[in-house]
Amino acid sequence: MEETDKNLIDAHLQGDREAFGELVRRYGDSLLGYLTKICRNREQAKDLFQETFKRVHEKAHTLRSNQFKSWLYTIATRVAMDGLRRDNRVRMVSLNQQIDCDGDNCPELGAVAVAADCDDPSQEASKAEQKELVRRAVESLPDRQRATLVLAYYQGLSYREVATALDCSIGTVKTQMFRALRTLAQRLPDISGVAK
Amino acid sequence: MKRHLTEEELIEHQFKLASDEQAVGRAEHLAGCAECRERLEQLGQKFAALDLLAEDIPASEELISQAIAQAKHPAPRRIVPFGKYHWIGTAAAVLVVGFVLMMGNLNKQAATRRESAETSKSEAGRSASLPQVEEEPEMMLVAKELADESATMLEEALVSRQTARKSAAAPPVADTASPTDKFGTDPTSRPDTPTEADLYAYAPGRGPAPDTAGTRPVRLPTLEQEVDLKDAPEFGTQLAATVRRKLAGAEISEEPPFAPASAIELVTLPRRDDVQLTIYNSADLTLVREKRNLTLKQGWNWLQLMWANTLIDPTSLSLEPAAQAGKIDVQQLVFPARLRELGRWLIRSEISGQVPFEITYFTSGLSWRAFYMGTLSQDEKTMRLAGYVRVANNSGEDYENAQTRLLVGKVNVLDKIADLAKRQYAYDRPGMDTAGDDYDVSQWGFQAKNGDKVPLLGDVPIVGELFRAGDLKPKEIKKEGLSEYFLYTIEGTETIPDKWGKRLPSFDVEDIDIESLYKYDEQRWSKQAIRFVSFTNDDEHNLGETPIPDGTVKIYGQAGEQGELSYVGGASIKYIPVDEEVELNLGPARLVKVEPKLMSFETDNYVFDNRGNVAGWDEIRTWRIEITNTRALPIEIEITRGFGTAYWKLVLVDVASRAEDAISYEKHDATHARFTLKRRPNSKWTFGYAVTTYHGRRQGQVSE
Repeated sequence: MEETDKNLIDAHLQGDREAFGELVRRYGDSLLGYLTKICRNREQAKDLFQETFKRVHEKAHTLRSNQFKSWLYTIATRVAMDGLRRDNRVRMVSLNQQIDCDGDNCPELGAVAVAADCDDPSQEASKAEQKELVRRAVESLPDRQRATLVLAYYQGLSYREVATALDCSIGTVKTQMFRALRTLAQRLPDISGVAK
Repeated sequence: MKRHLTEEELIEHQFKLASDEQAVGRAEHLAGCAECRERLEQLGQKFAALDLLAEDIPASEELISQAIAQAKHPAPRRIVPFGKYHWIGTAAAVLVVGFVLMMGNLNKQAATRRESAETSKSEAGRSASLPQVEEEPEMMLVAKELADESATMLEEALVSRQTARKSAAAPPVADTASPTDKFGTDPTSRPDTPTEADLYAYAPGRGPAPDTAGTRPVRLPTLEQEVDLKDAPEFGTQLAATVRRKLAGAEISEEPPFAPASAIELVTLPRRDDVQLTIYNSADLTLVREKRNLTLKQGWNWLQLMWANTLIDPTSLSLEPAAQAGKIDVQQLVFPARLRELGRWLIRSEISGQVPFEITYFTSGLSWRAFYMGTLSQDEKTMRLAGYVRVANNSGEDYENAQTRLLVGKVNVLDKIADLAKRQYAYDRPGMDTAGDDYDVSQWGFQAKNGDKVPLLGDVPIVGELFRAGDLKPKEIKKEGLSEYFLYTIEGTETIPDKWGKRLPSFDVEDIDIESLYKYDEQRWSKQAIRFVSFTNDDEHNLGETPIPDGTVKIYGQAGEQGELSYVGGASIKYIPVDEEVELNLGPARLVKVEPKLMSFETDNYVFDNRGNVAGWDEIRTWRIEITNTRALPIEIEITRGFGTAYWKLVLVDVASRAEDAISYEKHDATHARFTLKRRPNSKWTFGYAVTTYHGRRQGQVSE
């Protein structure tokens, strides 16, 4: 039977390194996806990923409830917001991303690779283009709105959990979500006919 | 609800953002309104586009391993709130009361003193054979030291009493009061050695009951009064009060101790509270300023710092109190012999308690360098320039939450910090004659001024003689020339663990007007055209706020309809002050070719001297230069031709008739001419010139 997150944290506090590794593997993919969407930059997302789990390790003793996931995203959001605040002086966009990124994990190269390998290259190319437009639309949102959208829509957190993660009220979460969606309604491309 | 739902209301309905009451009303409306249902469906399809980004990004195994590796240290344990366990407070209170009662029951302890005295010989013998104590790894608390001190004073008093009593009432025993063992340290000061105080004060049940000889008067040298043991309870109280008074009003000896009497007296550095790094890029040099809270006791304190496995320059260490400066005097930094990579500060403190200190030192291994990424616009008239700094830490020390400052500018460093850091001893080897005539260290010791030989370790009979001001003449490292620099401070703090690097954004500027220029100069770059991009670090180019540190630049161009990036070239740039022009050499151009061909060569206008020898002549060369531009953009090219002499004359020939093809040249310097021309996209074009160079006497004739 799969260990609960809380059990793993408790084991980690007892010095079980395997337990911490299990937590990292369990939430690594979704956390990296979240951070990449939040900070728009893959390399920075990796840094923030490390920083997040470092804080999880350091603050593990403060986790009281069984809500590890929302606690993890609380930490990740704070780490990401700190990072974004630092970068707001100058927005960091990696110009060498195509060179630095590692094949399938690179959004742009991934899209190209899909287009090259698929049965219907024209459709896949169109999909890659649509994906890029969606990505730009999401990235154009203000930080707070983007964080709310990513947590609620992509990470599947309830509005209550999002409120916990962002340290605000549910009303604020709903307002941010509504504003994000209203903006996206104007900016999202029409994808009818494009295979998802 | 009779009206149709707005798009906002549909969004709220779709994502359950409306209140319950509103949601019910809208659901009812949708149930009866086909038009709104259709719009809701369209809206749903539109938001379905978001699912294109829904997949998670797999974290690589390396990333996961790194994250797990961070947890190599044990996780901090949960802190148990003290308030939940009232019995702990109760137990503490009982202990305090017990201690007070114990002080008042010294008469009971006297019952065991005789037997203890008899056994003390064997105890002392055992303790003498113990290995030397290990140094305590962390800072020793002053409270503990004070307790040790008071225990020692009590112990001395009791031993004196016991000895006096034995001399009168008990058979003589072997001498147990030897102050030092073969290691030169006092056995009683060892934490693992049962002290006399332990034996007497804390083992009341041990041994047979004492006889009644305790009624004899005993002289207490430390208190200079006679006490009858019948009055021992009162005496205990008085003794404790006296010790307290003595401790409170103790005069600090003016003579500094030569060395800590034992490892227990050492205070090791606690964790840093605050740290600032100033990293220089022109030398392997970083200034570290740390703040740490040290706990000092009143009197002399030894503070130990170790720098093993780091690249800290021990000769640069400096310690200053950040508060109470008038009451704390950092006297000297001692590098004990045979103890490598550690130093001990001797601090005289008039106060007890926590004091913030600032420690500064130089280290190597931390470095930073700037690099830039430029993206040319499709027409190559503007460029976006993003600057980054990469900070790397190979210093052997982790720096957490460090305020990081990056310094641009030349610093003159006489010694390489890395070399100093790798020394086993901070200032040469012990025994090297580096400090003047006061030292005679031929046998790993000092010759004191009074002629006595003083060992470097262990108890020293003479204190204060060796380390008076002026005796230590450490070699100075001059770090000078800190001028014309520019300081970059990274906002907030950065955590840079050892062996880690970090890339941070510095600036990102759009729409920098640039000039793209190709240059051809055989004498400099052989037979190939070189591409240059230039701009100025000033307001007009959206720059000019700060100088641009030297670093590497990578330039990308945009190609295709979607503007995919492609690497164009890279260059190293030097430090660029404000208002200075930057010219980036992007390397050889493959799509622009320049091919000069010598079409004819002849000589003319010979001049002869009186003997009929040739004394001067002209050489006339005709060149044709073909320029091929296979790029889809117009280009500007600068062709420099050298003639090897300052006496030349150039005439254009074979120039195309069209006005836009007209070329001109300028005299670049005495021996060179420079043509500047613009070429259309995908074109080939030739032009020619004839250059006459004058030799011998012809040079003089032409000059006239």
